Amino acid sequence: MKTRIKEYRAKYNLTQEKLAELVGVRRETIIFLEQGRYNPSLRLAHNVAKTLKTTIDEIFTFDE
Amino acid sequence: MKMRTALLAAFVVALVLIVLLVSLREYYVAIALTVGAVILTRRELWYLMKKRKLPPFDERVRENMKKSARNGFIFFAAASAALMLFYTINLVYVTNRHPVQIMSGLFLAGGLVYLLSYVFYDRVEPKLDEKELRRLKAFLQVAGIAAGACIASFILHNVVAGLLGIEEPVFFVIAVILSPVAIAVGLIGSLVIFARGLVRKQLPSERVSQGDVVPE
Repeated sequence: MKTRIKEYRAKYNLTQEKLAELVGVRRETIIFLEQGRYNPSLRLAHNVAKTLKTTIDEIFTFDE
Repeated sequence: MKMRTALLAAFVVALVLIVLLVSLREYYVAIALTVGAVILTRRELWYLMKKRKLPPFDERVRENMKKSARNGFIFFAAASAALMLFYTINLVYVTNRHPVQIMSGLFLAGGLVYLLSYVFYDRVEPKLDEKELRRLKAFLQVAGIAAGACIASFILHNVVAGLLGIEEPVFFVIAVILSPVAIAVGLIGSLVIFARGLVRKQLPSERVSQGDVVPE
């Protein structure tokens, strides 16, 4: 799994900690998500996408 | 909110246990329990000191805690059952120990399994590829099955020897030689894979792109 969270975070000038606070998760979870080391639930993916003002498709991509 | 209540309950239980253990003069167990509790809750404690509130228990943390608790409980239940069996068939190696020591040892071992599982799900699992995960599962199964076979062989050896009045060799060899060797192989193999995942910096996907791992 690849994510564009880092890119969007930079776009909105958000730190990992700030994004974590906005989404309601721990900073470690954002780190894991950015590195593609954690498969989020649909709810978490939705919350991340909503916070970054984009769609789930835009943020998360899966290798076939 | 539920997680916070559970954490508070666990903290109170640990505190009562520590006081109880100190009053029973089981200092080493009390110290181990304190150290274990601090290691387990280090992130929460740090967050609490820094921000004066508990960190959120998000789905990743809850998932890891749930899986680790399941592993710790299965181990604790299996170890308790094995211990009761040893008491029942009067293998007296353990009976000259104080029951508090035995229970403390069991709780500590269960806690250790919880801790290792938590580290595994949190840090190690994402860094292992499919092949390594399958191998780890196989090693753990070998260790688990061998442990069960060891206990079963002990009982069967005694039953056969008692009923037929002969020196039964097959179950004896399984219990005394084969099972311990299989347990050792299973545990060492698992620990090697675990340690490899712990020290590894790269993810499987990054290693694939560098040609280190050949995808199936």
